[in-house]
Amino acid sequence: MSVKTIHDVEFGVELPSFEPNTDLQLCGDFAEAVGWPRGRFSDHEEAQKQGLPGALVPGIMGMGFLTTTIHNWSENAKVEHIDTVFRAPMMAGQSLIIGAVVTDIDEDEGLVEMDMTLKNQAGETRVFGTATVRLPIE
Amino acid sequence: MVNIDELREQFLNKDFDAREFVLDPLKMVAVARASGESRPEFTDPDHPDFHAPPAFLCSLASGRHLPIDFPRLGGIPMDGGKAVTCHAPARPGKTLIGKTHLHDIYDKKGRSGRMILVVARMELYDEDNTHLASADSRMVIRERSDS
Repeated sequence: MSVKTIHDVEFGVELPSFEPNTDLQLCGDFAEAVGWPRGRFSDHEEAQKQGLPGALVPGIMGMGFLTTTIHNWSENAKVEHIDTVFRAPMMAGQSLIIGAVVTDIDEDEGLVEMDMTLKNQAGETRVFGTATVRLPIE
Repeated sequence: MVNIDELREQFLNKDFDAREFVLDPLKMVAVARASGESRPEFTDPDHPDFHAPPAFLCSLASGRHLPIDFPRLGGIPMDGGKAVTCHAPARPGKTLIGKTHLHDIYDKKGRSGRMILVVARMELYDEDNTHLASADSRMVIRERSDS
């Protein structure tokens, strides 16, 4: 069911997910666009020389994946607040699983609260957070 | 052991950094696309509502996170997370001003000792002083036993 207004939202519903692309080139592109050196995000050997286990997905790219999940869920959704905790590194080139669930609905204000996670294929949480999303009341 | 109340008294809510930004639409698009975004207001610079996605705003806060006179509490601060609050669209081509202050300082005690968490908040304004967004950077510092 498409979500166009706050009245279309159901408590506890899980948002449709997508598989984010974490390949080295894209992680490097993200890093470069935000002004960071791309090596530790696009090259495993260079990252290992810096003492990392391998090239990383930039932490705030994880925030980007979560925001995109919300935007894909409803074309009318506006992310008013998103808070992400980086629990452990996300490795570039590895699959991530996005989880998002509606935890509160304020129909008068048009606001939805969500809990969100990014897990690796082993089911280990790498990033978790919350979001406040505004939807039209009518 | 560092007194958290004294740190809060000395450092909270005092701007210690200000910098100007002019958002580059191509970089905004690169961030949006790398995040899997497909909405044109984030991926098409010609869209009438084109503006920066939250993750891009967050990246603007990657400058100085601590006042120059903030005490050394232990090791290098670790990145404990980021948050963004969006108030109004941040658009490219105009000068924006980011002012940074410490928004919160608190501690958590664990088996391996005390961790001090410091939240630096960058508030982003446009030239009309409209508050566009706030970006929080949460730093985690493991306290040295002798600090």
